[in-house]
Amino acid sequence: MAKPVGILRFLGTNCDRDVWQAVEAMGLTPQWLWYEDQFAVKDYQGFIVPGGFSYGDYLRCGALAAKAPVMKSLGEAAAAGYPVLGICNGFQILCETKLLPGALVRNESRRFIDKWVDLNLVNPTRWTSRSQGAVHLRLPIAHGEGRFVMEEAELARLFDNEQVWWTYGDNPNGSMRDVAGVANEMKNVCALMPHPERAMFDWMGSEDGRAIFSALLQ
Amino acid sequence: MNADELKAKLAKYRLSADEFEQIRGLLGGRDPVGVEWALFSALWSEHCSYKSSRVHLKKFAFKSPRVLQAMGENAGVIDLGQGEKVAFKMESHNHPSYIEPYQGAATGVGGILRDIFTMGARPIALANYLCFGEPTAPRMQALVDGVVRGIAGYGNCVGVPTVTGQTEFHSSYNGNILVNALALGLVCGDEPIVTSPARGVGNLVVYVGAKTGRDGVHGASMASESFGADSESKRPTVQIGDPFFEKLLIESCLEVMQKGLVVAIQDMGAAGLTSSSFEMAAKGGVGLKIHLDKVPLRDSSVGPEEILLSESQERMLLICEPAKLKAVQDVFHHWGLDAAVLGEVVKGPEIELLWKNDVICKIDPKMLTDHAPMYEREYKPWSAKHKVSALSVGATKFPSLVEQMASVQGTSREWIYRQYDQRVGGKTVRDCEDSLAAVRLPSGRALGLVLGCRPAVMRMDAQVGGYDAAFYPALELNAKGFEPLALTDCLNFGNPEKPAIMSEFVAAVEALAEASRELDTPVISGNVSFYNETSDGNVTSTPSTGMVGLRESISGIPASHFVKAGDEVLLWRLPGVSYVSDMRGEVKAFTGELDPEALERWFDEVRAVSPKARATRVAGKFGLGYTLARMCTDELGAKAVKGDWAGATPAWSTEHLYEVVLVGDSSLMAAVKAACERSHSHVWRLGTVEKGPLTLDNETTDLKTLRQAYKTGWSKHFAQLA
Amino acid sequence: MKIGVKILPKTEVLDSQGRAVEGTLKNHGKAVNQCRVGKYVQLDIGETDESKALGKAKEIAEFVLYNPLIETYELEVVKK
Repeated sequence: MAKPVGILRFLGTNCDRDVWQAVEAMGLTPQWLWYEDQFAVKDYQGFIVPGGFSYGDYLRCGALAAKAPVMKSLGEAAAAGYPVLGICNGFQILCETKLLPGALVRNESRRFIDKWVDLNLVNPTRWTSRSQGAVHLRLPIAHGEGRFVMEEAELARLFDNEQVWWTYGDNPNGSMRDVAGVANEMKNVCALMPHPERAMFDWMGSEDGRAIFSALLQ
Repeated sequence: MNADELKAKLAKYRLSADEFEQIRGLLGGRDPVGVEWALFSALWSEHCSYKSSRVHLKKFAFKSPRVLQAMGENAGVIDLGQGEKVAFKMESHNHPSYIEPYQGAATGVGGILRDIFTMGARPIALANYLCFGEPTAPRMQALVDGVVRGIAGYGNCVGVPTVTGQTEFHSSYNGNILVNALALGLVCGDEPIVTSPARGVGNLVVYVGAKTGRDGVHGASMASESFGADSESKRPTVQIGDPFFEKLLIESCLEVMQKGLVVAIQDMGAAGLTSSSFEMAAKGGVGLKIHLDKVPLRDSSVGPEEILLSESQERMLLICEPAKLKAVQDVFHHWGLDAAVLGEVVKGPEIELLWKNDVICKIDPKMLTDHAPMYEREYKPWSAKHKVSALSVGATKFPSLVEQMASVQGTSREWIYRQYDQRVGGKTVRDCEDSLAAVRLPSGRALGLVLGCRPAVMRMDAQVGGYDAAFYPALELNAKGFEPLALTDCLNFGNPEKPAIMSEFVAAVEALAEASRELDTPVISGNVSFYNETSDGNVTSTPSTGMVGLRESISGIPASHFVKAGDEVLLWRLPGVSYVSDMRGEVKAFTGELDPEALERWFDEVRAVSPKARATRVAGKFGLGYTLARMCTDELGAKAVKGDWAGATPAWSTEHLYEVVLVGDSSLMAAVKAACERSHSHVWRLGTVEKGPLTLDNETTDLKTLRQAYKTGWSKHFAQLA
Repeated sequence: MKIGVKILPKTEVLDSQGRAVEGTLKNHGKAVNQCRVGKYVQLDIGETDESKALGKAKEIAEFVLYNPLIETYELEVVKK
């Protein structure tokens, strides 16, 4: 029987139930991982850090969640090569924890943006291992702090190292070099600002999110 | 107390001399003492007591078999069948938003959400109805910006999608903007609906949520007062909302309710602890013993009267059995919140308020709730001043389609809804871009939500406007295959002590009540906001509404724009009222009248035919020309010609109540014709959908120009807002 | 003792808030060479010794208050 997929929950996480719904739609078993508790990495097959407003986005997005006890276990999972996916606020938390490079700051327009975007695959990763060669996805974004920044030379190295996962077709928030999603060196920890869990069925507007979640199907 | 002292006290607590005498009568002939003044001030305010409107709101007292909870509870609840129930309500936060737009709008959203989840319903959608003044009016750009940011800031963070809205602009709102927030929540299967009447002597009174501060002290009475020259000084009473805290409150409250740990619960809204405790006790026919010194405080210098009046946000009051207290506290602690025991339920009937073991007040709550004044404000039976026997248009020059698309009334509101998270929750099927919102229920059925009330129609005639506040959204729902089920309303009016305003109020309420009865869509919840006026005048009487409808499936909902070249464009009308409005939303005259019974029968036919249409759109402001322009996409336009559906007034600019445009293949006409025979309505073929410009008779407008005008109009009116 | 932590965005990172304020000031005839918008965190630390308080504040700042990738910080003793 397939092991469950752990979904992290912090105070203020609000896309957790949507991710649960998406994991179930893929025929997998989701399980909650509460921010205060450590977990046994080997009991799971993969982990997702959902979007939302953990700690209200106070101080900096993801900054307070990054200090939560559960992140210690997640660090172990990442080091052991388990697949870890960060979505929106999840991306911000992974950057604050230093499991991913870079930082997400305020959108250039200084406003929250809700819209559909086109994404281009730059490099395949653990999380596109079963995407059937999809190189373009249409997913919705909904964020106020999605501008990806890094020191320029570091960002060039990130591209060279094939750690840039997705870029925007039409950059909505001023992200440097249109970066929409990145991966760690091992390519098992990946994150993106758009929401794949909001594109699981035609009636949602697109099924493209399945290209990412299907990576969990073995 | 001498006469001057009394006058000062009445002014401070905003009570009239008559009310003072009523209070003395209730208290057995004595003057109110101590905190009693504050209690009466808060609970007898217009905002809390509905003293000027209650007598007329009784006209809404009709239920359909689906109604599980009507007015009298925090929100109305209807049964959708298949174990699914929906709670919804709409509320105003007009005065606070004018003073501090971000926090006023944000706390408006917070407040309406609490009314929903306090029933045990998980909030799944938000909507808002906004009325602003002219973009050039003083402060207006900042007000628009602040209100939208506030709604977005709160709704997005708390994780409830904002799925639809209506935004109006008119000079009558220059000094008083309207910010009405609507929330909708879901109860499924075995989940309980929890109500507010306190009960069970010995049960505990528990305070949960944020600590209490001085926010909004005297806020409820502010909302009952018009803005005069000293509005600036009202600034300190604005409440600050914390959506992060609210999110924690939603999760923890739903959890304790679903675990069966709660006997009764109510949110602390206007007049905070006072209104919640007094209403819960009065409804339950019990008394309470409350130790005010046990209330968690942000600032230890806050005294008992301030505690009673504080409108600090994100707080709830619940009643639980002593044996369940630990379980309740464990859940709240899990979510990082405090649950403090304030006291207990007693036989009553009095509520005893204690401060460090001294009884500072002992009073029967019914004196403040059930015995609140009920005024019969003066009004006259409605007479339609602008009704004529025939419309004459004379030499009026009409704005072109492009001008209409770029006008502040007609331009795209995308700048607004781009800032709202429309998809959190994973249920959104139709969002802000469409003419109505739809969310997917767990059963796979679709719940539709649309706002109603058109200020231009209200200005034309308050009675027709009142009907329209129910009929227009009902037609919008039917045209997409939704069966309308229930209504909520937010009645925004000027000063009820002025007979002209009160006459509009009564006319609109009676029309809305009649329409809702005819449609079988009871008004199950609502709110009244009076005193939306300044020294310069009052707002357009605006009885905004929110209507929900049910559709058996989420698939096949007709679009609101052209989909396929070659499709036929039909006009389906039930004649009633006609008029022409200018670009500022002014209507000088109208003809005809509405037939509610005929409309209801026709609406059923529209709903039955709708699955056969690829697209539908109810004709609205500016008339048929603008409606067709709105249906154009970047690639598809239409060719349409005038027919005998046009009267003596300009064909494309006359508005008819009611008519709907349907678009589909050649089989559609036959279906509509058959329905016409059953409903005294008429159908005409307007033209066809084409890959190319929009041509109305001989006037052609290319798509690029049309779409550009629609998309960029906003930025021209609101140049200061990026 | 109260210690103030002044946090500013790094000059290399685009400060969109600062840029917006610069624009508004310019439009009102109050142009400045530069405007940067950051945040100020005040910590009431249970220490009477200034260097100990500053030490604790530094630890806290580096623990969570600022992100070295995108921000810089400075400490100050809040004088009554």
